[in-house]
Amino acid sequence: MSSKYAVLPCNGLDKCAGQITKEIALAICEKTESDLICPVLYQVAESKYDTSVKENPLLVIDGCGMRCASKLAAAKNLKIQKKMTVSAEAKERGCVLPTDTLRLSEAERKLAVELAAELSKETETAKEDSGAETVYQTPNDFAVYTRDKFIFRVPTEGFYFTENDCWLQVSGNRARIGVTDYVQQSLSDIMFFTPPNLDSELEQFDEAGVIESGKAVFEVICPVSGKVVAVNAELASAPEFINQSPYEKGWIAELELTNFAEEVDFLLTTEGYMKILKKKVDDFHVK
Amino acid sequence: MSEAREVKFGVVSCSGEECLGGTISRLATRKIMDEIQPDKTVTICLPLFLAGGQEERTFAKEFPTIAVDGCNKACARRAIEKYSGAVSAAILVSDLIGDEMAEGPALSTRDLTAEHQKMIDKTTLAISEEYDVLIKAEQVK
Repeated sequence: MSSKYAVLPCNGLDKCAGQITKEIALAICEKTESDLICPVLYQVAESKYDTSVKENPLLVIDGCGMRCASKLAAAKNLKIQKKMTVSAEAKERGCVLPTDTLRLSEAERKLAVELAAELSKETETAKEDSGAETVYQTPNDFAVYTRDKFIFRVPTEGFYFTENDCWLQVSGNRARIGVTDYVQQSLSDIMFFTPPNLDSELEQFDEAGVIESGKAVFEVICPVSGKVVAVNAELASAPEFINQSPYEKGWIAELELTNFAEEVDFLLTTEGYMKILKKKVDDFHVK
Repeated sequence: MSEAREVKFGVVSCSGEECLGGTISRLATRKIMDEIQPDKTVTICLPLFLAGGQEERTFAKEFPTIAVDGCNKACARRAIEKYSGAVSAAILVSDLIGDEMAEGPALSTRDLTAEHQKMIDKTTLAISEEYDVLIKAEQVK
């Protein structure tokens, strides 16, 4: 990693994961000229870090599921370049963090080094995999459902949908996935997107990433089975593409299809999805 | 006959990202909790406290709290005062190890030297002395 970042760790003191965030943040800052943002001082003296968080890509490191650092970033309307939750990463690696002591053993220190490297590596990987070569048609005709000031658009051709408001656009043996206009409008301003892992094998209806806004967190449900061959790396620095262009620039991942012929029966056409969309809008509409 | 209230003390360290004083305050707080008064002290996660953690704020309202700050910005003390009321005692690491040293760069625990360890011990002792004063006051109640 050679870029300069603003690094915002939760830096919690009462859990081992919080201690590890500090080590990760220090490791990243030692390797680069990055700025370390103290979450507590940032709360009470915002101007101190204003320049750094606005001029540099922001890395956020949460210790536990409380995600205080992410919440702080959201409260300050900061755009997150990349983030990580230590407790979740430890669990994924089968690493049990101690609860009886917060002193870091060699195992936790090693984990901190690994996670610091991964945080930087994934950022670079995302840049490398930013373009898929397969051609996808840009939708030019939309079915529209209007309710008061809200207008929901759904492409009329070339797309499949799920009841979970995700879409699929097929090209040969590959397909792009994303979320519908209804999701982006419901979430409002999208702050962050966690993509699925490259080369991972997803089953139909597995989680294929997470979208976060100031209002809610939305799990992307994969419409079909397949291998993730690309992710939309542009969303790392511009998650608002999902708001601006959910069916085009806001695509999420590209899959190599493995069982589409059978799974297509579980997908919805535009007409089928429009019925569900209208019901959702009518049921949840708040004047 | 009324039951004696079990007194727990909150020891709240500054977050410690900004400077060495913060790192020392974190480590001294941990030493109090792990070794000196393991059954009588708890800490409060300051970022969570600031993010609106109600359990943390309620604890600091109801139990005696010692703030341990790295420098004279006193983020921990000020945060407690803002959301939960006055602290019972306040330690300033920069008063113990000097402003210049306290405002030096933060460091990883793997880089701790014997000199740093002495600073941690000095801060731990200061917290411990405040604790002793407070526990005596509680016993008089």
